[in-house]
Amino acid sequence: MDFMTALPTILKAMTMGAVPILLAALGEVFSERAGLVNIGLEGVMAIGAFVGFAVGKMTGNLWVGLLAGMAAGVLVNMLYAFCTVTLCADQVVTGMAINILAPAIALFGYNLFVGSNSANATGAQMPSIAIPGLSDIPFIGNAFFNQTLLAYLAFILVPLVRYFFKHFRAGLSFRSVGENPHAAETLGINVVRMKYVACIVCGLLTAAGGAFLTLCYTPIYTDGIVMGRGFIALATVIFGRWTALGVLGASLLFGFFDGLNVALQAQFQAAPVMFFKMIPYIFTIIALIFFGSKHAGPKANGQPYFREQR
Amino acid sequence: MTELLRMENISKRFGSFYANKNVTLDVQEGEVHTLLGENGAGKSTLMNVLIGLYQPTEGKIFMHGKEVSISSPRVAVEQGIGMVHQHFMLIDDMTGLENIILGDKRHSSPLLQEDADRKAVEEIMDRYGLEIDLDEKVGEMSIGMQQRVEIMKVLFRGADLLILDEPTAVLTDLEVEGLFDIMRSLTAEGKGIVFISHKMREVMRISDRVTVLRRGETVETVRVADTTEQELADLMIGQKFVENTYKKVTDATKEEFVLKDVSFHPEIKHGGLKDVSLTIHKGEILGVAGIDGNGQTPLAEVVTGLVKPDSGKVIGPDGAEIAIFSPEAFIDAGLGNIPEDRNKMGLVGDMTIAENLVLKQTESDQFSLGHGKWLKMGEIHSYAERLREENDIRCTSVDQTARSLSGGNQQKVILARELEGHPKLLVAVYPTRGLDIGATEFIHNQIVAQRDAGCAVLLISADFDEVLKLSDRIVVLFEGQIMGTYSGANPPIKEISLAMAGK
Amino acid sequence: MAKKALSPEERSEKRMMILTPIVAVLLALIIGAIIIACLGKNPFEGYAAMIQGSLGDGAKLSKTLERACPLIFTGLCAAFAYKCGVFNLGGEGQFIMGGCATATCVLGLGLEGPAGLALGLLAGIVAGAIWGLLPGIMKITRGLNEMITTIMLNYVAMYFMEYIFKNVYSDNGLPKTVAIPQSARLPEVLGTHVGVILAIVLGIFTWYVIFRTSFGFKIRAVGMNPIASKVNGFPVRRLVLLAFVLSGAIAGLGGAVELLGKTPYRLADGFGSGFGFDGVAIALIAQLNPIAAIFVAFFFGVLSTGGTMMQSVIGVPTAIVEIIRGLIIIFAVAGMAAVKLPKIKAYVAARLDARAKKAEVNA
Repeated sequence: MDFMTALPTILKAMTMGAVPILLAALGEVFSERAGLVNIGLEGVMAIGAFVGFAVGKMTGNLWVGLLAGMAAGVLVNMLYAFCTVTLCADQVVTGMAINILAPAIALFGYNLFVGSNSANATGAQMPSIAIPGLSDIPFIGNAFFNQTLLAYLAFILVPLVRYFFKHFRAGLSFRSVGENPHAAETLGINVVRMKYVACIVCGLLTAAGGAFLTLCYTPIYTDGIVMGRGFIALATVIFGRWTALGVLGASLLFGFFDGLNVALQAQFQAAPVMFFKMIPYIFTIIALIFFGSKHAGPKANGQPYFREQR
Repeated sequence: MTELLRMENISKRFGSFYANKNVTLDVQEGEVHTLLGENGAGKSTLMNVLIGLYQPTEGKIFMHGKEVSISSPRVAVEQGIGMVHQHFMLIDDMTGLENIILGDKRHSSPLLQEDADRKAVEEIMDRYGLEIDLDEKVGEMSIGMQQRVEIMKVLFRGADLLILDEPTAVLTDLEVEGLFDIMRSLTAEGKGIVFISHKMREVMRISDRVTVLRRGETVETVRVADTTEQELADLMIGQKFVENTYKKVTDATKEEFVLKDVSFHPEIKHGGLKDVSLTIHKGEILGVAGIDGNGQTPLAEVVTGLVKPDSGKVIGPDGAEIAIFSPEAFIDAGLGNIPEDRNKMGLVGDMTIAENLVLKQTESDQFSLGHGKWLKMGEIHSYAERLREENDIRCTSVDQTARSLSGGNQQKVILARELEGHPKLLVAVYPTRGLDIGATEFIHNQIVAQRDAGCAVLLISADFDEVLKLSDRIVVLFEGQIMGTYSGANPPIKEISLAMAGK
Repeated sequence: MAKKALSPEERSEKRMMILTPIVAVLLALIIGAIIIACLGKNPFEGYAAMIQGSLGDGAKLSKTLERACPLIFTGLCAAFAYKCGVFNLGGEGQFIMGGCATATCVLGLGLEGPAGLALGLLAGIVAGAIWGLLPGIMKITRGLNEMITTIMLNYVAMYFMEYIFKNVYSDNGLPKTVAIPQSARLPEVLGTHVGVILAIVLGIFTWYVIFRTSFGFKIRAVGMNPIASKVNGFPVRRLVLLAFVLSGAIAGLGGAVELLGKTPYRLADGFGSGFGFDGVAIALIAQLNPIAAIFVAFFFGVLSTGGTMMQSVIGVPTAIVEIIRGLIIIFAVAGMAAVKLPKIKAYVAARLDARAKKAEVNA
């Protein structure tokens, strides 16, 4: 096949595939920087996708839908925060429970919403906005400069998050909480509050990533629409070394493989494209082996913080 | 000179135990005031009172002549008191500057004012000759520079009184010189320093006055110019006499366990061993004396097979050099081990007392069929009951978890398990740390009985009294090296206490 | 055995640990009932339909048992690994690889009859074990956290299975494999395939290994305190690796049993999907007790098969059942964490104290 002719399609699929992962991964960066490994992204995305879809359909305003989806995401993530921060429950187990509970709630809501009125099955989609001039650049123009507003916002978020962690007092405090909460506490930083704030931000962004799926990617909600993107976002954070720029690169990479699959599938009906789909996961493992555990992110990541322990 | 701090008749009681009793301490501006005392003399308690972690039971604190109530660490900072902990409170992944300004609230803007803060920090650096690479990550800095970051954190928050808790313990000799230069320039600017150290030579060099604590009470405050190392050592140790509770063995000759020129990470003063040679005879207790953190942990790890020494020989009970360093191999060769940390290394806290008692023997015919294929629960239970009787382990049932026991009873469980294996070599590390008198007595008796039964015992302890009481011979460990070997029957206490302080 | 006499604190903690999952289930069912009531339906009718639909007659019971069967395997897989302190989230991948190896063995080598069956099961065990070994090696040699690596390997396994059923043994180009030949399938006993009995026997055997053998004793010790285990001469790294391998093998056998025992006897999209995480949940609710895990898995089976009946009888979506399941896990996790919190412990201790004093006064 002619790779060059397929390239614009691949790149377009890449950016479309990258955005939801990017949003969720940025949320997870906040969470893990504050020492909370949240594997419940998958569930939070599902809630964001469904509520965004349903409210967008009901109100006819997709932005209201997006905001509602994000609020719902925060609500679900507060459950995670309460269990892990206040009750000091195991983070992975709690995240897993969210992954089982949240999609169930979404499916239940969907059944009620669409079951009562099948006209509700298809929603509207955000329009793409082509940036004049830039969108005509060969190969990358259509992929990067002809997108929905939400996608632009996601990409703009990357430098903002980077700036936040580098130049905001709160950004510094966030990092200290994930690295050494006891030292942070001695310097007057409220560790518990920091962790809750991280969960709120994580819920907002992750749910926005989920809402992107139903508001920009495809106009319908189906059970399992997230399709493991939450876990990929988790891998993206590791692969991107817990930084906003790294996460951007990693999610584009994962999106690229996604796009490659789409293109290849179109070219060869029966080609073993699944091996391409494996690549991101194998990549993550290899990257981990390469970097080793020494530089494996915030040091207090995943550990409960008992204030009583001094 | 003007007075910076005065602590008057401070007492701190925990239950019925006085960690501090009527302690008085004053620090003048521009003074280095050393707090000297053995482990457990009450230095940390006094400092925790000063930085607001503990509230004193009695007594008053004055800063700049005004009485203050230091109700929290935050108040201490506001009063200009800053402490550099022995274990640094730093964030490795952040730069020096980020660590210094972290959590500081002098600016109202939510943005970091790195440029302004950098200027302020650099000014302090210049004034006191504190060299810090502000843009290097703390995790990549030398220990000396990390310590300077800690000192800077305190200075940046405007401290007038600095508490340095054993600051030289982790430093190389060159870095110690650097630290002393900084301390001098700090005092030249009128800051006061409370310096905590065990090392006589350093104390004599840097301090103006020394306050000696013993058993929670002030012994005396002396000017360094008017005293000698010997006098300080005497004040610190106090009137020691060897309790002649146990008969001392002087004629043990059969070599059971020998270390020859053993080194393990000798470049680390605090966690290494340098050319250590020692011999433990059958039927003898060899005591290792020394201040905590002078190589006790690596020594214990080498003689229990947890780590392999970088160089040197270890010769086991059968006279052959040991090639495989693993706890399994050492246990098979006849090692009994009372480890340093009961909960972390000795017991599986969530298992029952009975399970902990048979920990090493579940494959034996006594406790299982077919080498571990079916555990005889009844047998294990009655065995545990027997050991509980014999060792006076106080518990409701041998089926309760080991974690739920008191420290003394936990230690009895470990002792019972190890001694039932009839070891040839018993390694006891801090065996009575934190135990009450009754449990301590019991454990001492058991260790001596084991010696009398022909076991070679290596006792490693930071409790000097304990070493004197039990040991037939004594070696002193200082900064990973053996300072000397002394008889335990009539120990030259002064000489030993100076050796422990590095003299 | 002698009567167990524990201190009041320990007894109360133990009691609370046992009570927590039961309370979690009840709470979740109550919330489920409230949701049903809010939809204007009768919750009692709904739950009756659920029980009727899952346990009502022999056929339904065997359907429930077959639904629970793979969950028993993944539940045991998780429980065994956690007992050794290994957080294996890769039950799903190991389950799938087991299925793939079995398919390859039976379909690829064209084996039929008991030989195919036996070799198929063996291949499943081996493949699952290898899929468990990989993260084990990565943990031991490079210190990689097994939670991340096992999740990643789940996806690799999933796509590998897709390759198997789309490209290798595809049934006429359809996205599913050819069915396992009749002769190589697991025989039926009392209306369910033998795999169910195998799962139950394995559960009991796992309990025996963990609680009644020296090997299991060491596994538990390593899981609770690896440092003390090392000091006391246990080969910690080897035991950890074995825990990975054996827990993988259990899941792999589960995959083989699922393929050889349950209609449609094929690999296709969704084979094993979600079983790994369900297994983790089951193990946790069962507090890592293999025999309790059998019952919890059975309960999950009841929820699944009964949910369909509830939907058709009172007309509420099956998603309610999923919500109940999610709530059970959340409540159990939160409850177990709360019981261990110092504050709660202190409160309980104070209550016990007060009670003891009261008893003294009364006496």
